[in-house]
Amino acid sequence: MRANLIDKYKDEVTSFSESKNEPDWYKQVRLDSLAKADELSLPKYEKINYRSWRLDRPGVINADSEIKNDNKPQADNYIYQAGNQTLSSSLDEELSDKGVILTDIFSAMNDYPELMKKYFMTKVTKAEDNKLTALNAAFLNSGIFLYVPRGVHINKSIQAMFVQDNSVDCDFVHHVLIVAEADSEVTYLENLVSTGSGYKNKANIVVEVIAADDSRVHFSALDQLSKDTTTYLSRRGCTGNNTRLDWAIGFMNDGDVIGDFGTDLLGEGSHTEAKVVAITTGDQVQGIDTKVTNYGQHTIGHILQHGVILQKSTLTFNGVGHIVKGARGSDAQQESRVLMLSRKARGDANPILLIDENDVTAGHAASVGRVNEDQMYYLMSRGIDEKTAQRLVIRGFLSSVISEIPEKDVRASLTQMIERKLINGQQ
Amino acid sequence: MSTLEIKDLHVSVTDDEKGEGQEILKGVNLSMSTGEVHAIMGPNGTGKSTLSQAIMGNSAYKVTQGDVLLDGKSILDLPVDERARLGLFLAMQYPAEIPGVTNVEFMRAAINARRDEDKQIPVMEFIKKLEAKQKILDMTDEMSERYLNEGFSGGEKKRNEILQLLMIEPKFAILDEIDSGLDIDALKVVSRGVNSMRGDNFGSLIITHYQRLLNYIVPDQVHVMMDGRIVKSGGPDLAKKLEDEGYAGLRDDLHLDVKLTDEI
Ligand SMILES: Nc1ncnc2c1ncn2[C@@H]1O[C@H](COP(=O)(O)OP(=O)(O)OP(=O)(O)O)[C@@H](O)[C@H]1O
Ligand SMILES: [Mg+2]
Repeated sequence: MRANLIDKYKDEVTSFSESKNEPDWYKQVRLDSLAKADELSLPKYEKINYRSWRLDRPGVINADSEIKNDNKPQADNYIYQAGNQTLSSSLDEELSDKGVILTDIFSAMNDYPELMKKYFMTKVTKAEDNKLTALNAAFLNSGIFLYVPRGVHINKSIQAMFVQDNSVDCDFVHHVLIVAEADSEVTYLENLVSTGSGYKNKANIVVEVIAADDSRVHFSALDQLSKDTTTYLSRRGCTGNNTRLDWAIGFMNDGDVIGDFGTDLLGEGSHTEAKVVAITTGDQVQGIDTKVTNYGQHTIGHILQHGVILQKSTLTFNGVGHIVKGARGSDAQQESRVLMLSRKARGDANPILLIDENDVTAGHAASVGRVNEDQMYYLMSRGIDEKTAQRLVIRGFLSSVISEIPEKDVRASLTQMIERKLINGQQ
Repeated sequence: MSTLEIKDLHVSVTDDEKGEGQEILKGVNLSMSTGEVHAIMGPNGTGKSTLSQAIMGNSAYKVTQGDVLLDGKSILDLPVDERARLGLFLAMQYPAEIPGVTNVEFMRAAINARRDEDKQIPVMEFIKKLEAKQKILDMTDEMSERYLNEGFSGGEKKRNEILQLLMIEPKFAILDEIDSGLDIDALKVVSRGVNSMRGDNFGSLIITHYQRLLNYIVPDQVHVMMDGRIVKSGGPDLAKKLEDEGYAGLRDDLHLDVKLTDEI
């Protein structure tokens, strides 16, 4: 029999915590989570089988990486992390004066213990949710905390760049905690990239967004982890009354990735739009499970997922809309569509509606199809070759998320990412 | 000078419901050279759009007999994009909408598709050209920045087809009902655009139901198509005559056994 995680990793986790000068309360969270991980099982997602990826087997968590490429976001308010380190960050003085916090997760534990104890893995994602969230809490080795106090409206976007390093043997266990207090507003944009080669690593990333009453949060992400990185990526949020929480996620990784996205619509009258676009190439597998649960009355949850599958890859979209009993006047809509560009590709779009209340509206659309022939013909009739025409049509198909990205240069870089991935996949 | 020749062209479409081929074009003959404008008129459903699609290479239309030659060489084995790069252009009756791709980007891609990798059109040159062509068509930058045809009104789509024509500068342009749905001012503008292309290096085949368009774009020849064939050709006067007498009159003059859609 395999040794318990707690017996095997207790010393390593303790000494890592001490090397980071963590407060005792977080050291205890790590050890408790480690003990829980032994009891918990892997999260289950319809039609996505990833057991063989061994995401539940921890690797090295502490290694010094030397990141040379400078990927600093071009923004006034940003944080730039590589491997376990924070390379630089910046926040307008005016915002820090108002109490906005943008810092790495370890500083946050020491400097803002009350906020961290109140929000870290307590409201949205909990360590005891499943084995992978427990491991995230136990082995955490990087991350950030973004806090927007009550009534503060940030009109410029806050950008984060996270670089995962495959030139060293080290897991990337990352946690992003975003808290938008009542009546606040923030637009956040994160980039997730890999660098280096030589090692195959695992990434366990948990993002939590707590959006309080009357707040507005817009979250965008551009994900491009490499083929050497096998990943569990959870991005979930919860809402207060009349909150608006929107997601725009560009899932452009090259490795095997599970995406667990969604929102718990807790507050009355809150609204979420979750949009995901994905491309798979080579023989990679990406599975995305986006779940919105309507708890509050008169809540609105919309899911839109568009994906393109090339070569021998696999892409699965689950869209889960759940309206609980009592959530009267709520609305759950979803659309999941995949385009298959190769006969060897595998794709699935599964709409799942769980409705426990009568006085609601709900609907779904799902399809697995091929590139629109009329559009191809039109473009080619202007002299554009077949592959280029195909990329243009696909870009149109993915535009629902592209147009959601708030910054023009980031929009352009998503378009480039799509172009790069499609060109690779067309070979 | 370039030539476009259509010889004894027979074209079938496969009916999705019945699953069997149906012959639409039953031997079309037509020759034209750059420097000329030809007009095709004819009742609904006689195969005018079918002819234009078959020339362009739409795979829904199967050529069962005959040939289409550009400068003496058959183009029937070539895919759509190659035909376009050889100099053919089709302004479609129903242009597709493509979200996520701006007009500007699309037109630049279309122009660059005709140029060598290392001789792509410089940005300034492109913008200057675009501004000049937009001006001819009374169009604004706003429309060029929008996604290709997405949410365009019927008239805006037509105007946009002509903008592409002016930007791409093909040898031969087939304009399929470019006047339908245009108000009288737009009709003049679009005609001005087409006329600006006229010259020794440009030929056009204009499909229309209305003689009015031919007052603005005066053709060298007018052809009448009925039941998959060209049944009469003549000068601009032929269009006026049709306007006065209708297709039934011409059919009876020619002793044709053709049923027109509007007859009971
Ligand atoms: N893709 C297609 N599939 C099935 N039938 C078709 C197709 N395209 C054309 N047809 C049929 O071929 C015939 C000729 O159509 P076509 O569109 O060429 O006519 P047209 O002369 O352009 O008419 P209109 O003046 O109404 O535009 C019609 O009966 C039409 O229904
Ligand atoms: Mg027609």
